[in-house]
Parts: sequence; structure tokens; C-alpha cells
Amino acid sequence: MKIKKGWIPVFLLPAVVLFLLIYALPLAMVFGTSLFDYRLTAQKMTFIGFENYIRLIHDPDFFKALSNTVIWIFIQCILHVALGTIIALILYKKPRGWKFVRTAYMVPNIISNAAIGMIFLNIFNPQFGVVNSVLKAAGLEKLTHNWLMDSATAFPSVTLIWVLFAGYTTTLVLAQALSLDESMLEAARVDGATPFQVDMMVVLPMLKKIIGTTMVMAATYMLQMFDLIYITTNGGPGKTTTNLPLQLYGVYKTENNYGYANTIGVCIVLVGVIAMTVINKALKVNKEDY
Amino acid sequence: MAAVMTAALFTGCGKSGDTAKSDSDNGVITINYPTFQCGVNTAAPVVAKLVAEFNKEYAGKYQIKLEEVPGDANYVDKIKVQLGTGDLPPVVYGAGYNLLDLALAKNLVVDLTDKVNADPEWKALYSKTALNTNSRNGKIYASSVEGSIVGYFYNKDLFAKAGITEPAKTWDEFFQQCDKLKKAGITPLAMDTADSAWVTQLWWGAMVATSNENGLKFMQTMNPSDYNTPEMVAAVEKVQKMLKEYTTLDAIGGKYENAANNFLSGQAAMIANGPWMIGDFSDTTKTTEGFADKVGAAVYPGNFVYDAPIQGYFVTKQDDPKVEEAAIAMVKFFTSAHAQQLGLEMQGMVPASDTVKITDKASEKYPLLVDFLGKATNASIRSDNMQATMYSNLLDVVSQELPRLYSGELDAKAFCQKLTDAAAKNK
Repeated sequence: MKIKKGWIPVFLLPAVVLFLLIYALPLAMVFGTSLFDYRLTAQKMTFIGFENYIRLIHDPDFFKALSNTVIWIFIQCILHVALGTIIALILYKKPRGWKFVRTAYMVPNIISNAAIGMIFLNIFNPQFGVVNSVLKAAGLEKLTHNWLMDSATAFPSVTLIWVLFAGYTTTLVLAQALSLDESMLEAARVDGATPFQVDMMVVLPMLKKIIGTTMVMAATYMLQMFDLIYITTNGGPGKTTTNLPLQLYGVYKTENNYGYANTIGVCIVLVGVIAMTVINKALKVNKEDY
Repeated sequence: MAAVMTAALFTGCGKSGDTAKSDSDNGVITINYPTFQCGVNTAAPVVAKLVAEFNKEYAGKYQIKLEEVPGDANYVDKIKVQLGTGDLPPVVYGAGYNLLDLALAKNLVVDLTDKVNADPEWKALYSKTALNTNSRNGKIYASSVEGSIVGYFYNKDLFAKAGITEPAKTWDEFFQQCDKLKKAGITPLAMDTADSAWVTQLWWGAMVATSNENGLKFMQTMNPSDYNTPEMVAAVEKVQKMLKEYTTLDAIGGKYENAANNFLSGQAAMIANGPWMIGDFSDTTKTTEGFADKVGAAVYPGNFVYDAPIQGYFVTKQDDPKVEEAAIAMVKFFTSAHAQQLGLEMQGMVPASDTVKITDKASEKYPLLVDFLGKATNASIRSDNMQATMYSNLLDVVSQELPRLYSGELDAKAFCQKLTDAAAKNK
């Protein structure tokens, strides 16, 4: 059947217009205003070129936020995705109760971040929290801590709030694993491969693309992470648990410096583009397998 | 965030609808007034009554239309977005958020000096401190309704259990009392570090103000930039001691609510806070029946009390002078002696003006408030609180660095240096 190509632009137009209005234009404005001294308290915006960017490279708070963000992206892409994938690899063999586990593991992902934040704020509460209570009951009172407010434990404690809940990764990888051609797996078994070898040498390579996709999702989740940190530590103690969105918010909210906040915004976009490129290149997400 | 800021920019393309407008049918000027004093806010009934009274008094001429913006933070965000677009509502309540200076920086505030000076009744309501709070460069821009006289509350039962007969008069005595309470198995202080550490800052500021003349001068300075002063460092050392030895574990990282709960549940013996907390002492959803009878109020050691009216209502520049006139009438009405008395009687609010009499009705309803106001009258040292005078970006720094002060990661000098560095970002 001959396709009338003339209609293609017409059908694409609404999506293109929406993209331009909702994403491209705001992005252009973020970049544009990052070149201005744009503050709430100033009478007018003044063009200052790349001065905000020069301030950025001399700002230790920004670098702390940047390094935390990059570390969290790394942890999320490796640990979180690995955990989700391992659970999917266990569940795709359909052991007893696999449907229940699949559903139960998804539950933390459908609870709002605000609620999760409050739950963990209480779990880690130094006075009546579960963690310290269990330690006390086990006779380990010396190990009790103010987990979220001690510089030594705040970062891992905050990370624990999200890194273990890989329900989305499990669901996506599991769906892909369940759709694999059973004859290929059977052929491997007939050739004498152990179940572990089948998983590692046959199943996992065929899940590479979906794993890449979940890594992209994990990285973007970390780039957007705000509410959980804001509720639990607000970036503290000091700047121990701050990240780029929180740093941007702080500059916007307390310094009322919109130009500098948008400079940080441009950096978030850049970090996102770099992360996506690295993941796509590493896992060849956009290339054909066969 | 980018989308939010872009939305804020786009808002400038149109009118927000908050401005006053003249009703062409009957010539009534309607003032759209956004306020956070609605819903469960303790001032909501007072504001609602004032609006009803104003609309009755100015029937056929002016009318206030309330726009409810629940939550202080939402209100501040809304006003900031509108400041960005230059399209403010005719009347803005500065409250404790120093919105006046932000609006002045944009040259959007109406100068009330001539109006106030021409009206002896209105002018008489401005105490010296109220004049300072609401004036800039000798010009009056705002009018206060609410005073802010802040001391601390103590649990009389817990004091008695520790053998303490009356609140401390000096800081040495205060710390001795803390030791006595601790020895009796009672946590002396309810404190916090999150959300700008309101309760902790009150203790801290009181120690700075009563240290010496320089300390008091510091506390009376708007937007101080150097926190590396001997008085400040000494006070921070004591705050560190308080956090380490005299408060609950959950104070570190805890919010005001944690501190309040610890006091209201009888777990801590003292809490620094303003009279607006008095209502909580008899609220059985927050504490036990009869708790109010156990609470005493005191001024700080060194005979100090925080005393600065809360920044009041101001009028913003409008295209139509009639709208500005209406807004001025509203501000005058909302800050009148009648309005202040209404706040006192209905809400237990401290009046901004010392000329407003404490009525029998208020004395009967709020005996602890009246008792405290009596003690506060004799306080010899007064200043604004530190939160109100510090650069707004320091509020977060205080919250973020207090836990490190507690853990010993920062000493008092390093903590003060952090504040000085953060203050320098405003230059």
C-alpha cells in the first residue's frame, strides 16, 4: 500500500507545537535568562554574559551538589537497576508466589514521595525511630545514631530511601524476560548450559536494551530528585545531601536570584544529556541487535 | 523548577486578577485581597470579621474580596511571583517575611508618611519600634497590627520536681537550672534545628542581646554581615552546649512541631516561643487536659524580651489612584486600635501599639498572656529576633549547619564563619 507522505507533517504538527511551547521555549528561556543578572529585588534584568557561569565554577556549594548528583546517578544506574534486574531474573522463572512478589515490590513505587519521605523521617528518628529502637533492643545502643543528621551517615541513609525500591525496573525487565523466545533458552539447556549460565549468557544479553532503558529512567529520576531529600534532610547537614535541583531551589527561594538559579538549571540539562549519551552509547540502546 | 520559573515569567504577560477594580455598575471599588490568614490559621476569624466590618462601614464605596491562600509559604511564593511581574494586589501583609523590602526594591510601595502624619489617631498607634519596623529612610511604608513580644514558657510542675522556684534571672543561673532539671531526669529544653530553627534561634539571640552593648547592637542591626563577633561566638558555644546536653535527641533535624510536642507532652521543661502558642496549652488535641495550668511565662535571663511589631500591611502602587485610596482606607482600618483589640480578644494576639488597652475580656480569656505582658513591660533589654533581621538565605544555612555544630564537626567560630560567608552572597 502506498503511503501518502504529505500527511506526515500534519500529524506531527500538534506534537511539535506542544514540544516547542512546553519544552523548547522554556529551555531557551532558562538558557537566555542565565545570561542576565535577574533577581527579584532588581528593578530590571541586566545582561551580564557568562558571569553567572564564572560564579558557578567558583561555587563550592554547586560542586558539592554536582558531585552528589553524579554519585546518585551512578548508584541508581548500577545498584538500583542491578537489584531490579536480579529480582526480575528470579521472577521470570515463575517460582511460587511470583505474582504476589511482583505486585508487592511495586507498592513503594506507587506511594507518593512525600509520604515515603515522612515514613523514613520517622524510621530514622533518633528518639523513637524503628532503626534505633531495634538497635537498642538488640543491645547495640552504642550504634544508635541520628542517621539523617550526622554527616557520616546522612548520605547513605538518604540513598537507602530510594535505592532499594526498584519496582519499575523489575516490572519492565520482567515483562521483557517473559516475552523471550522459550526455544532459545531450551536450546541452551539442551547444549548443557546450567540455569545460571542460561541467565548470564542468554537471557541477560537479550535484556540489554530494556536494562538500558531502565538505566535512562533511573538517571532521569535522580536528576529530578527533590522532594525526598527536601523532606528528610533539606540537603543537610551542611551540604552533605544536597543535589542540583535542591541547590537550584535554594538559590531561587532564598537568594531570589533567578538568573543564577537558571544557570544551575542549564547545568542540570547538560548533566542529563551527558548521562543519557553515556548510557545509550554503553548499552547501544538505539542500535539493532540482530 | 524551570517550568515554574517560566510560568512565572509568562504570568507577566497578563493580569493576575488580584488587583483592585472599579465596579462600573455602582462605582464600588473592589479590593481583591489574597491572605494566608484563612482556614485553620488562628487569625482567620479576626480577618473575616474585619472584612465584614469594613465592607459594612464602606458599603457602596469600597469592598474587600478575600482570596484564600492557605499556608504562609504559598502566600509568600504567590507574592514573589507577582512581584516578578510587577502586578501586586493593592494590599499586602508583610507579616514575618519582610515582603516590604522586596516590594520596595521594585519601587512598588505607596509612601504612607503624609497620610499617617495627617491623622493623629493613626500616628498615635505607631510606637518607636513599630515606626522602625515599618519605615525605611525616614518614610513610613507600612502599618502594623500585631506585636511580637517573645519570652519563654516553662512547666511549673517539672520546675518544682527539680526544686526550682522561679525562672532564672541570669544566664549562669539558667544553666544551673538546666543542670538541676537534668539531674532530676527531666530534659530541660525543647529545641529544633530544621525550618530555620525558630525555637533555638530565640535562645541564641537572647544570649547575644544580653551579652553586652555590642551584642544588643548586633541584634538591632538589619541584615548584619559579620557574625564573627565575640558575642556571637560565645552565644553559639552555649547553643552547642544546649544542643549537646540539655535537649531531646530529636531536636537535631527536628522542626518546630517536634519542639512544641516535646514541651506540650511534658517531656521538656522549657520552650522559647511567642504568646501565639498559649492557645495550644489548652488545646486537648495537642496536650492533656489541665496542661495550661502548669505553664508559666517568663522573660529571658538578663531581663530581655523580644519586642518588635510584626511588619504590617502596605499599599502597592496601582494605575488607578482611587484604588490606592481604597487600599489605604483598608490598611488604616485593619491596623486601627479597634482591629488590634479585636485580635487580642479573639485570638490572644499581642497588639502592635502599646496604647491599646488590655480589656477585662482578654484578661479573663488569656490570663497567661496578660501575666506575660505584665512581666515584659518591665524588661530592660529589647530587640527584634534574629530571624527577622538576618538575610533570608541564612535561614537555610542555620538549619543545615546546626547539626554539624551539634556533632562537633564545626566549632562555634567555624559556624559563625559559615554565616558570614553566606551573608556575603547578598552583596
